[in-house]
Amino acid sequence: MPVIQIPPPYRGPTQGVAEVEVDGATLRECLDAVEKEFPGFAPLVLDPDGRLRKFATWFRNGDKLTGDVLATALEPDDSIEIISSVAGG
Amino acid sequence: MAGPTGDKMIRVDMTNQTAELVDFPAEWKLLGGRALSAKILTAECDPTCDPLGPDNVLVMAPGVLSGTAAPTSGRISIGGKSPLTGGIKEANTGGQPGQHLMKLGIRAIVVKGKPADAGARYALEVNADGVKIVSADAHKMKRNYALCMDLHGEYPKTTSFITCGPAGEMGLSGASVATTDQDNRYPARHAARGGLGAVMGSKGLKYVAVDPGRAGVRRPADRAKFGELCKTYTKEYQEGPQMFQFGTSSVVPMANMLNTFVYKNRTAGQSPDVENLDGARIVESFETRGGEMHNCMTGCIVKCSNVVHDAQGEYKTSALEFETLTLLGSNCAVKSWEDVADMDRLCDEIGLDTIETGGAIAILMDAGQMEWGDADAMRTLMNEIDQGTERGKAIGNGAVATGKFTGHSRVPHALGQTIPAWDPRPLKATGVTYCTSPMGADHTAGLVVNPGLTIDQYVWESQKSQIVNAVCDSSGFCQFLQPSLDDIRNFYGALYGEEVSREQIHDQGWECLQDEWAFNRAAGLSVEDGYLSEALQKDSIAGQVFDVPMDVIEQMYTRLPAQEDLFAAKASG
Repeated sequence: MPVIQIPPPYRGPTQGVAEVEVDGATLRECLDAVEKEFPGFAPLVLDPDGRLRKFATWFRNGDKLTGDVLATALEPDDSIEIISSVAGG
Repeated sequence: MAGPTGDKMIRVDMTNQTAELVDFPAEWKLLGGRALSAKILTAECDPTCDPLGPDNVLVMAPGVLSGTAAPTSGRISIGGKSPLTGGIKEANTGGQPGQHLMKLGIRAIVVKGKPADAGARYALEVNADGVKIVSADAHKMKRNYALCMDLHGEYPKTTSFITCGPAGEMGLSGASVATTDQDNRYPARHAARGGLGAVMGSKGLKYVAVDPGRAGVRRPADRAKFGELCKTYTKEYQEGPQMFQFGTSSVVPMANMLNTFVYKNRTAGQSPDVENLDGARIVESFETRGGEMHNCMTGCIVKCSNVVHDAQGEYKTSALEFETLTLLGSNCAVKSWEDVADMDRLCDEIGLDTIETGGAIAILMDAGQMEWGDADAMRTLMNEIDQGTERGKAIGNGAVATGKFTGHSRVPHALGQTIPAWDPRPLKATGVTYCTSPMGADHTAGLVVNPGLTIDQYVWESQKSQIVNAVCDSSGFCQFLQPSLDDIRNFYGALYGEEVSREQIHDQGWECLQDEWAFNRAAGLSVEDGYLSEALQKDSIAGQVFDVPMDVIEQMYTRLPAQEDLFAAKASG
């Protein structure tokens, strides 16, 4: 099953869990599955209109995802990473 | 080959207005920036001294790697006893002076004493011929931009500047020390926190001019290895996500989501105006107004600094950061990034910490003495600061002073320093940093953005971050390059042609913290003094207060065994 890597800023709803293995054919299905297991996660990555928040970049197996990212088809051994800038002076 | 040798320090006596070059101790070759400042201050500064008196010591120390070809490595630390916290302080900034000093082989400037004539102003001139003190009376009370434009015309174009604005000359505890950008003109970089500008001003020092002339980069002992490290690190960084390519202002929406885009004197964690305060609006403005992203120092590959223009396409300010958009923006209920850009420029002009100033103005508003979000009133108020009005001076002296001035009780602070944007209530490990760092509430001392941690993880995560950041701030690397301890020790090893072990680099970070804690204890500051103020213990954000018990806080002062993640952890601030 695909694995969603949860970066530290997003680990509030997952209560510290850093990797979530979920069943889903697309990224959207996987995020829905994460939300089901850890309520409160979806609003961190999706805006109220259900689109991915702009300040995060998504990677699949190290490759940056572009276009309709949520519709990305996933393979069972895929690893999804979320990168967003977290620091500030 | 041994790497750079023959380095010097500049010792300045402002009581007698003398300056001399002395040898830099060879045993300190792996010390720079914050760790070097800590070493000098614990040896030479009386912790019980008056921060604005002759016995305080002002240190200006570039990092170990500054002046080399290492990417983004030209940061400089300003150190001394803080008039704001009453303890030791190090504030770190970019710009060119760090590179320039190190190219001249100057590892630190150490300033002591105080002129008998409190009205006299002086400058320090540093170049390949040596160092001398000159009169700067003609520049007394000049705001930073006018000062730097005048100096840019007076000195060779290769000269960079470290300056004290009017706030520092007035001895205000929120005063910053400014440095000039890569163009050597704009004083947009600030060693902002802790009032070190007031220490510089107390010594009658208006500016330091550093002209490297034709001095070249510092040569490492193992040029091949050093060059390979530079190349590999740069390639990996540029092929990676480059999180700060649009600046820290792009963090605004993420922070808002995490309930740490604090609003109305930290009574809420989200702003209804987040869209207009988002750094993405600044980047969008480049298309019609000009402006761009740029780097503040030669050799920087991050380029996180924005150059912001006004609606007429004219330069307004630079380095409009997340913290400023929060403290002078959302925290004061200001609705637009353009108004915050005005405040940023005013702080840079007068020489003030934008975080402390924003925290102070929000208290004034919370006390009912100014309407929330009234940007015009804020501009008027800020223009009063260097006119010396009573409320202007209160603001310039920071949040605690403004609390006393207004009689208002909700004053968020730790060790007398206002809390940065990253709020300790949803981010409790960061709160542990604020309580325990010798720097007081300073996110650059150790930022941990992980709301999923449990209480038994707070201390290790904070201690790890504090050690990594202390070493980073000693190295000359910018925290936004996010080097790890392993990265830093590898560069040091190639610089001096010797192995620097994990144990050595861990020792360096821990010893820096111990030096600083020892200074603070000798200054009379207890562990309890560092705890967050009542406002953060009683007022909640997103249902959370800061409630980490003292027995957990106290665990910070015992060195925890190094875990593998310590050496790969990235600097974060």
